[in-house]
Amino acid sequence: MRNAEPGTMMQPSPLLPIVTERLVLRPFTRGDVDAVHAYRCREDVARYLFDGPMTRETCAEAIQLRVRQVSFAEEGDRIVLAAERQDSGELIGEISLIWRSVVSRQGEIGYIFHPDYQHLGYASEAVRALLTLGFRDLDLHRIYARCDTRNAPSYRLMERIGMRREAHFHEHLLVRGNWDDEYIYAVLRSEWRRH
Amino acid sequence: MIPPVLPIETERLLLRTFERNDFDSVMAYHALPEVQRYLDWKARDRIEVKAALEAMRKEVALNRPGDTLSLAVEHRKDKRLIGQVSLRWHDATAAQAELRFVFNPAYRRQGYAGEAAKAAISLGFSEFGFHRIFARCDARNQQSARLLKGLGMRLEAHYREHALFQGEWDEELHFAVLDREWLRSPKVHEFAAHRVA
Repeated sequence: MRNAEPGTMMQPSPLLPIVTERLVLRPFTRGDVDAVHAYRCREDVARYLFDGPMTRETCAEAIQLRVRQVSFAEEGDRIVLAAERQDSGELIGEISLIWRSVVSRQGEIGYIFHPDYQHLGYASEAVRALLTLGFRDLDLHRIYARCDTRNAPSYRLMERIGMRREAHFHEHLLVRGNWDDEYIYAVLRSEWRRH
Repeated sequence: MIPPVLPIETERLLLRTFERNDFDSVMAYHALPEVQRYLDWKARDRIEVKAALEAMRKEVALNRPGDTLSLAVEHRKDKRLIGQVSLRWHDATAAQAELRFVFNPAYRRQGYAGEAAKAAISLGFSEFGFHRIFARCDARNQQSARLLKGLGMRLEAHYREHALFQGEWDEELHFAVLDREWLRSPKVHEFAAHRVA
Protein backbone atom coordinates (compact mmCIF):
# COMPACT_ATOMS: atom_id res chain seq x y z
CA MET A 1 0.00 0.00 0.00
CA ARG A 2 1.04 3.54 -0.79
CA ASN A 3 -0.40 5.79 1.91
CA ALA A 4 0.68 6.12 5.50
CA GLU A 5 3.11 4.02 7.50
CA PRO A 6 1.53 1.42 9.75
CA GLY A 7 0.36 3.01 12.94
CA THR A 8 0.15 6.56 11.62
CA MET A 9 -3.19 8.31 11.42
CA MET A 10 -5.04 8.34 8.11
CA GLN A 11 -6.33 11.71 7.00
CA PRO A 12 -10.07 11.53 7.61
CA SER A 13 -11.90 12.51 4.41
CA PRO A 14 -14.21 15.48 4.93
CA LEU A 15 -16.77 13.64 2.77
CA LEU A 16 -17.05 10.75 5.23
CA PRO A 17 -19.04 9.32 6.82
CA ILE A 18 -22.03 9.60 4.50
CA VAL A 19 -25.33 9.65 6.34
CA THR A 20 -28.43 8.52 4.44
CA GLU A 21 -31.99 8.12 5.65
CA ARG A 22 -31.38 4.85 7.48
CA LEU A 23 -27.65 4.16 7.03
CA VAL A 24 -24.22 5.44 7.83
CA LEU A 25 -21.54 4.69 5.21
CA ARG A 26 -18.26 4.88 7.04
CA PRO A 27 -14.63 3.70 6.70
CA PHE A 28 -13.87 0.20 7.95
CA THR A 29 -12.17 -0.39 11.28
CA ARG A 30 -10.27 -3.41 12.55
CA GLY A 31 -13.25 -4.30 14.73
CA ASP A 32 -15.40 -5.10 11.66
CA VAL A 33 -13.87 -8.49 10.84
CA ASP A 34 -16.56 -10.67 12.42
CA ALA A 35 -19.45 -8.69 10.98
CA VAL A 36 -17.97 -8.91 7.48
CA HIS A 37 -17.02 -12.56 7.87
CA ALA A 38 -20.65 -13.32 8.81
CA TYR A 39 -21.74 -12.75 5.20
CA ARG A 40 -18.51 -13.14 3.17
CA CYS A 41 -18.13 -16.72 4.47
CA ARG A 42 -21.43 -17.73 2.87
CA GLU A 43 -21.62 -19.71 -0.34
CA ASP A 44 -24.82 -17.88 -1.37
CA VAL A 45 -22.98 -14.57 -1.10
CA ALA A 46 -19.84 -15.74 -2.93
CA ARG A 47 -21.76 -17.47 -5.75
CA TYR A 48 -21.74 -14.45 -8.04
CA LEU A 49 -18.46 -12.90 -6.90
CA PHE A 50 -14.96 -13.41 -8.29
CA ASP A 51 -13.71 -14.48 -4.85
CA GLY A 52 -14.92 -17.65 -3.20
CA PRO A 53 -16.25 -17.74 0.36
CA MET A 54 -13.76 -16.07 2.72
CA THR A 55 -12.14 -17.52 5.79
CA ARG A 56 -11.90 -15.29 8.83
CA GLU A 57 -8.21 -14.85 8.11
CA THR A 58 -8.76 -13.65 4.51
CA CYS A 59 -11.45 -11.35 5.83
CA ALA A 60 -9.10 -9.87 8.42
CA GLU A 61 -6.48 -9.25 5.70
CA ALA A 62 -9.06 -7.61 3.45
CA ILE A 63 -10.18 -5.32 6.22
CA GLN A 64 -6.66 -4.36 7.08
CA LEU A 65 -6.42 -2.98 3.52
CA ARG A 66 -9.84 -1.36 3.64
CA VAL A 67 -9.05 0.69 6.72
CA ARG A 68 -6.90 2.83 4.42
CA GLN A 69 -9.19 2.76 1.38
CA VAL A 70 -10.98 5.99 2.15
CA SER A 71 -10.04 8.49 -0.58
CA PHE A 72 -8.87 8.94 -4.17
CA ALA A 73 -5.29 10.03 -4.84
CA GLU A 74 -4.49 8.19 -8.06
CA GLU A 75 -5.96 5.85 -10.66
CA GLY A 76 -6.96 2.46 -9.27
CA ASP A 77 -7.62 3.80 -5.79
CA ARG A 78 -10.78 2.66 -4.09
CA ILE A 79 -13.06 3.98 -1.42
CA VAL A 80 -14.52 1.05 0.49
CA LEU A 81 -17.18 1.74 3.09
CA ALA A 82 -19.10 -0.25 5.65
CA ALA A 83 -22.88 0.17 5.56
CA GLU A 84 -24.17 0.42 9.08
CA ARG A 85 -27.79 0.66 10.19
CA GLN A 86 -28.44 3.81 12.16
CA ASP A 87 -31.11 2.21 14.34
CA SER A 88 -29.23 -0.91 15.45
CA GLY A 89 -25.61 -0.06 14.66
CA GLU A 90 -25.27 -3.37 12.79
CA LEU A 91 -22.86 -3.63 9.86
CA ILE A 92 -25.04 -5.05 7.06
CA GLY A 93 -22.84 -4.75 3.99
CA GLU A 94 -20.06 -3.06 2.09
CA ILE A 95 -19.90 -0.70 -0.87
CA SER A 96 -16.99 0.49 -2.95
CA LEU A 97 -16.06 3.02 -5.59
CA ILE A 98 -12.94 2.47 -7.71
CA TRP A 99 -11.23 5.25 -9.70
CA ARG A 100 -10.90 3.45 -13.04
CA SER A 101 -9.73 6.35 -15.17
CA VAL A 102 -8.46 9.73 -14.07
CA VAL A 103 -8.37 11.24 -17.58
CA SER A 104 -11.83 10.00 -18.57
CA ARG A 105 -13.25 10.41 -15.05
CA GLN A 106 -14.60 6.88 -14.83
CA GLY A 107 -15.58 5.03 -11.68
CA GLU A 108 -16.74 1.53 -10.87
CA ILE A 109 -19.16 0.83 -8.07
CA GLY A 110 -19.55 -2.47 -6.21
CA TYR A 111 -21.66 -3.67 -3.31
CA ILE A 112 -22.17 -6.77 -1.20
CA PHE A 113 -24.88 -7.03 1.43
CA HIS A 114 -25.78 -9.61 4.06
CA PRO A 115 -28.66 -11.75 2.69
CA ASP A 116 -30.58 -11.30 5.94
CA TYR A 117 -30.99 -7.62 5.12
CA GLN A 118 -31.97 -7.95 1.45
CA HIS A 119 -35.25 -6.68 0.00
CA LEU A 120 -35.35 -3.78 2.45
CA GLY A 121 -33.89 -1.17 0.13
CA TYR A 122 -30.66 -0.76 2.08
CA ALA A 123 -28.41 -1.56 -0.89
CA SER A 124 -30.25 0.94 -3.15
CA GLU A 125 -29.96 3.57 -0.49
CA ALA A 126 -26.22 3.00 -0.22
CA VAL A 127 -25.64 2.87 -3.99
CA ARG A 128 -27.55 6.12 -4.56
CA ALA A 129 -25.44 7.82 -1.90
CA LEU A 130 -22.21 6.57 -3.45
CA LEU A 131 -23.26 7.67 -6.95
CA THR A 132 -23.94 11.12 -5.54
CA LEU A 133 -20.50 11.11 -3.92
CA GLY A 134 -18.91 10.03 -7.22
CA PHE A 135 -20.65 12.58 -9.43
CA ARG A 136 -21.07 15.55 -7.12
CA ASP A 137 -18.00 15.40 -4.89
CA LEU A 138 -15.47 13.44 -6.96
CA ASP A 139 -16.48 14.89 -10.34
CA LEU A 140 -16.75 11.56 -12.16
CA HIS A 141 -18.23 11.51 -15.67
CA ARG A 142 -19.47 7.91 -15.80
CA ILE A 143 -19.92 5.22 -13.17
CA TYR A 144 -20.44 1.58 -14.03
CA ALA A 145 -20.96 -1.68 -12.21
CA ARG A 146 -20.61 -5.31 -13.24
CA CYS A 147 -22.60 -8.31 -12.17
CA ASP A 148 -23.14 -11.96 -12.98
CA THR A 149 -26.12 -12.30 -15.34
CA ARG A 150 -27.77 -14.73 -12.88
CA ASN A 151 -27.62 -12.20 -10.07
CA ALA A 152 -31.11 -10.77 -10.54
CA PRO A 153 -31.32 -8.82 -7.25
CA SER A 154 -28.14 -6.98 -8.18
CA TYR A 155 -29.08 -5.95 -11.71
CA ARG A 156 -32.68 -5.15 -10.78
CA LEU A 157 -31.32 -2.72 -8.22
CA MET A 158 -29.23 -1.02 -10.92
CA GLU A 159 -32.22 -0.81 -13.24
CA ARG A 160 -34.39 0.65 -10.47
CA ILE A 161 -31.99 3.44 -9.75
CA GLY A 162 -31.65 4.39 -13.41
CA MET A 163 -28.51 2.66 -14.63
CA ARG A 164 -28.54 1.37 -18.22
CA ARG A 165 -27.37 -2.08 -19.33
CA GLU A 166 -24.42 -1.43 -21.61
CA ALA A 167 -22.97 -4.91 -21.94
CA HIS A 168 -23.82 -8.57 -21.82
CA PHE A 169 -20.66 -10.59 -22.20
CA HIS A 170 -21.01 -14.29 -22.95
CA GLU A 171 -18.39 -16.66 -21.54
CA HIS A 172 -15.71 -13.98 -21.52
CA LEU A 173 -13.97 -15.29 -18.39
CA LEU A 174 -13.42 -18.43 -16.39
CA VAL A 175 -14.30 -17.85 -12.76
CA ARG A 176 -13.40 -20.68 -10.43
CA GLY A 177 -13.66 -23.15 -13.31
CA ASN A 178 -16.98 -21.93 -14.70
CA TRP A 179 -17.76 -19.76 -17.70
CA ASP A 180 -18.80 -16.33 -16.60
CA ASP A 181 -21.59 -14.28 -18.19
CA GLU A 182 -21.56 -10.67 -17.15
CA TYR A 183 -23.69 -7.55 -17.39
CA ILE A 184 -22.28 -4.05 -17.23
CA TYR A 185 -24.59 -1.25 -16.16
CA ALA A 186 -23.63 2.41 -16.35
CA VAL A 187 -24.87 5.89 -15.69
CA LEU A 188 -23.48 9.20 -16.90
CA ARG A 189 -23.20 12.30 -14.80
CA SER A 190 -25.68 14.11 -17.10
CA GLU A 191 -28.24 11.33 -16.57
CA TRP A 192 -27.75 11.25 -12.83
CA ARG A 193 -28.33 14.99 -12.46
CA ARG A 194 -31.65 14.68 -14.26
CA HIS A 195 -32.55 11.87 -11.94
CA MET B 1 0.96 -23.00 -29.53
CA ILE B 2 2.10 -24.26 -32.88
CA PRO B 3 2.35 -21.56 -35.51
CA PRO B 4 -0.50 -21.97 -37.97
CA VAL B 5 -0.22 -23.16 -41.48
CA LEU B 6 0.32 -20.02 -43.45
CA PRO B 7 -0.46 -18.54 -45.86
CA ILE B 8 -4.21 -19.03 -45.93
CA GLU B 9 -6.03 -18.77 -49.21
CA THR B 10 -9.63 -17.68 -49.46
CA GLU B 11 -11.68 -17.25 -52.60
CA ARG B 12 -10.06 -13.97 -53.59
CA LEU B 13 -7.42 -13.34 -50.93
CA LEU B 14 -4.17 -14.54 -49.50
CA LEU B 15 -3.44 -14.03 -45.77
CA ARG B 16 0.28 -14.13 -45.05
CA THR B 17 2.83 -12.70 -42.64
CA PHE B 18 4.25 -9.25 -43.33
CA GLU B 19 7.46 -8.71 -45.28
CA ARG B 20 9.92 -5.84 -45.35
CA ASN B 21 8.96 -4.79 -48.86
CA ASP B 22 5.33 -4.28 -47.82
CA PHE B 23 6.26 -0.79 -46.66
CA ASP B 24 4.75 1.21 -49.52
CA SER B 25 1.49 -0.72 -49.47
CA VAL B 26 1.15 -0.33 -45.69
CA MET B 27 2.12 3.35 -45.84
CA ALA B 28 -0.65 3.85 -48.42
CA TYR B 29 -3.36 3.31 -45.80
CA HIS B 30 -1.63 3.81 -42.41
CA ALA B 31 -0.92 7.42 -43.33
CA LEU B 32 -4.53 8.28 -44.16
CA PRO B 33 -6.45 10.34 -41.57
CA GLU B 34 -9.72 8.73 -42.72
CA VAL B 35 -8.33 5.30 -41.87
CA GLN B 36 -7.15 6.28 -38.39
CA ARG B 37 -10.40 8.08 -37.59
CA TYR B 38 -11.83 5.08 -35.78
CA LEU B 39 -8.59 3.46 -34.65
CA ASP B 40 -6.66 4.06 -31.48
CA TRP B 41 -3.61 5.40 -33.26
CA LYS B 42 -3.11 8.57 -35.22
CA ALA B 43 -2.25 8.78 -38.92
CA ARG B 44 1.34 7.68 -39.22
CA ASP B 45 4.36 9.20 -40.89
CA ARG B 46 7.10 7.17 -42.62
CA ILE B 47 9.06 6.56 -39.43
CA GLU B 48 5.96 5.39 -37.54
CA VAL B 49 4.86 3.13 -40.38
CA LYS B 50 8.35 1.65 -40.53
CA ALA B 51 8.17 0.88 -36.80
CA ALA B 52 4.64 -0.53 -37.14
CA LEU B 53 5.72 -2.78 -40.00
CA GLU B 54 8.79 -3.96 -38.08
CA ALA B 55 6.52 -4.88 -35.17
CA MET B 56 4.01 -6.67 -37.38
CA ARG B 57 6.73 -8.65 -39.14
CA LYS B 58 7.55 -10.18 -35.75
CA GLU B 59 3.92 -11.00 -34.97
CA VAL B 60 3.88 -14.40 -36.59
CA ALA B 61 2.78 -16.74 -33.79
CA LEU B 62 0.68 -16.89 -30.65
CA ASN B 63 2.88 -18.39 -27.98
CA ARG B 64 1.63 -16.63 -24.88
CA PRO B 65 -1.20 -14.32 -23.81
CA GLY B 66 -0.60 -10.83 -25.12
CA ASP B 67 0.88 -12.09 -28.39
CA THR B 68 -0.57 -10.92 -31.68
CA LEU B 69 -0.67 -12.67 -35.02
CA SER B 70 -0.65 -10.00 -37.74
CA LEU B 71 -1.47 -10.96 -41.28
CA ALA B 72 -1.16 -9.00 -44.47
CA VAL B 73 -4.13 -9.41 -46.77
CA GLU B 74 -3.15 -9.70 -50.39
CA HIS B 75 -5.41 -9.74 -53.39
CA ARG B 76 -4.64 -13.03 -55.13
CA LYS B 77 -5.28 -11.80 -58.65
CA ASP B 78 -3.15 -8.67 -58.72
CA LYS B 79 -0.88 -9.49 -55.73
CA ARG B 80 -1.61 -6.15 -54.06
CA LEU B 81 -1.58 -5.78 -50.32
CA ILE B 82 -4.99 -4.31 -49.53
CA GLY B 83 -5.12 -4.42 -45.73
CA GLN B 84 -4.38 -6.34 -42.59
CA VAL B 85 -6.11 -8.56 -40.07
CA SER B 86 -4.88 -9.67 -36.66
CA LEU B 87 -5.69 -11.90 -33.72
CA ARG B 88 -4.48 -11.03 -30.24
CA TRP B 89 -4.46 -13.71 -27.57
CA HIS B 90 -6.12 -11.95 -24.72
CA ASP B 91 -6.59 -14.27 -21.80
CA ALA B 92 -4.69 -17.44 -20.97
CA THR B 93 -7.28 -19.44 -19.04
CA ALA B 94 -10.44 -18.34 -20.80
CA ALA B 95 -9.03 -18.69 -24.36
CA GLN B 96 -10.17 -15.28 -25.56
CA ALA B 97 -8.88 -13.42 -28.60
CA GLU B 98 -9.44 -10.05 -30.18
CA LEU B 99 -9.87 -9.63 -33.91
CA ARG B 100 -8.79 -6.41 -35.57
CA PHE B 101 -8.62 -5.32 -39.16
CA VAL B 102 -7.62 -2.28 -41.19
CA PHE B 103 -8.14 -1.95 -44.91
CA ASN B 104 -7.06 0.46 -47.60
CA PRO B 105 -10.17 2.54 -48.46
CA ALA B 106 -9.39 2.10 -52.16
CA TYR B 107 -10.52 -1.53 -51.81
CA ARG B 108 -13.64 -1.01 -49.75
CA ARG B 109 -17.18 -2.17 -50.41
CA GLN B 110 -16.16 -5.36 -52.17
CA GLY B 111 -16.37 -7.68 -49.18
CA TYR B 112 -12.62 -8.15 -48.81
CA ALA B 113 -12.49 -7.18 -45.13
CA GLY B 114 -15.33 -9.59 -44.35
CA GLU B 115 -13.66 -12.38 -46.28
CA ALA B 116 -10.37 -11.84 -44.44
CA ALA B 117 -12.03 -11.48 -41.03
CA LYS B 118 -13.96 -14.70 -41.58
CA ALA B 119 -10.74 -16.55 -42.40
CA ALA B 120 -9.02 -15.11 -39.33
CA ILE B 121 -11.88 -16.11 -37.02
CA SER B 122 -11.91 -19.64 -38.42
CA LEU B 123 -8.16 -19.81 -37.93
CA GLY B 124 -8.59 -18.66 -34.32
CA PHE B 125 -11.13 -21.32 -33.49
CA SER B 126 -9.74 -24.25 -35.50
CA GLU B 127 -5.98 -23.76 -35.23
CA PHE B 128 -5.67 -21.99 -31.87
CA GLY B 129 -8.66 -23.42 -30.08
CA PHE B 130 -9.98 -20.10 -28.84
CA HIS B 131 -13.27 -20.20 -26.98
CA ARG B 132 -14.43 -16.69 -27.80
CA ILE B 133 -13.31 -14.10 -30.31
CA PHE B 134 -14.33 -10.50 -29.92
CA ALA B 135 -13.93 -7.29 -31.89
CA ARG B 136 -14.42 -3.67 -30.93
CA CYS B 137 -15.33 -0.70 -33.06
CA ASP B 138 -16.30 2.91 -32.70
CA ALA B 139 -20.09 3.28 -32.61
CA ARG B 140 -19.96 5.74 -35.52
CA ASN B 141 -18.06 3.26 -37.66
CA GLN B 142 -21.13 1.75 -39.26
CA GLN B 143 -19.17 -0.10 -41.93
CA SER B 144 -17.24 -2.14 -39.37
CA ALA B 145 -20.31 -2.71 -37.22
CA ARG B 146 -22.24 -3.99 -40.22
CA LEU B 147 -19.36 -6.24 -41.21
CA LEU B 148 -19.05 -7.80 -37.75
CA LYS B 149 -22.78 -8.33 -37.46
CA GLY B 150 -22.81 -9.83 -40.94
CA LEU B 151 -20.22 -12.38 -39.84
CA GLY B 152 -22.69 -13.58 -37.22
CA MET B 153 -21.03 -11.88 -34.28
CA ARG B 154 -23.27 -10.74 -31.45
CA LEU B 155 -23.36 -7.14 -30.23
CA GLU B 156 -22.40 -7.62 -26.58
CA ALA B 157 -21.64 -4.11 -25.46
CA HIS B 158 -22.37 -0.52 -26.32
CA TYR B 159 -20.34 1.74 -24.06
CA ARG B 160 -21.25 5.42 -23.94
CA GLU B 161 -18.67 8.03 -23.00
CA HIS B 162 -16.47 5.44 -21.32
CA ALA B 163 -13.24 7.07 -22.47
CA LEU B 164 -11.86 10.29 -23.84
CA PHE B 165 -10.09 9.84 -27.14
CA GLN B 166 -8.32 12.77 -28.78
CA GLY B 167 -10.44 15.12 -26.69
CA GLU B 168 -13.80 13.58 -27.56
CA TRP B 169 -16.04 11.19 -25.69
CA ASP B 170 -15.83 7.76 -27.18
CA GLU B 171 -18.68 5.41 -27.88
CA GLU B 172 -17.66 1.84 -28.45
CA LEU B 173 -19.31 -1.35 -29.67
CA HIS B 174 -18.12 -4.78 -28.69
CA PHE B 175 -19.01 -7.84 -30.81
CA ALA B 176 -18.26 -11.47 -30.01
CA VAL B 177 -18.78 -15.05 -31.12
CA LEU B 178 -18.17 -18.34 -29.31
CA ASP B 179 -16.46 -21.33 -30.89
CA ARG B 180 -19.59 -23.52 -30.81
CA GLU B 181 -21.66 -20.77 -32.42
CA TRP B 182 -19.11 -20.24 -35.16
CA LEU B 183 -18.73 -23.90 -35.96
CA ARG B 184 -22.52 -24.23 -36.33
CA SER B 185 -22.69 -21.21 -38.58
CA PRO B 186 -23.26 -21.83 -42.30
CA LYS B 187 -20.74 -19.07 -43.03
CA VAL B 188 -17.93 -21.31 -41.92
CA HIS B 189 -18.86 -24.14 -44.20
CA GLU B 190 -19.02 -21.71 -47.03
CA PHE B 191 -15.51 -20.61 -46.05
CA ALA B 192 -14.20 -24.15 -45.61
CA ALA B 193 -15.15 -24.94 -49.17
CA HIS B 194 -12.89 -22.17 -50.39
CA ARG B 195 -9.97 -22.98 -48.21
CA VAL B 196 -7.12 -24.59 -50.07
CA ALA B 197 -5.67 -27.44 -48.09
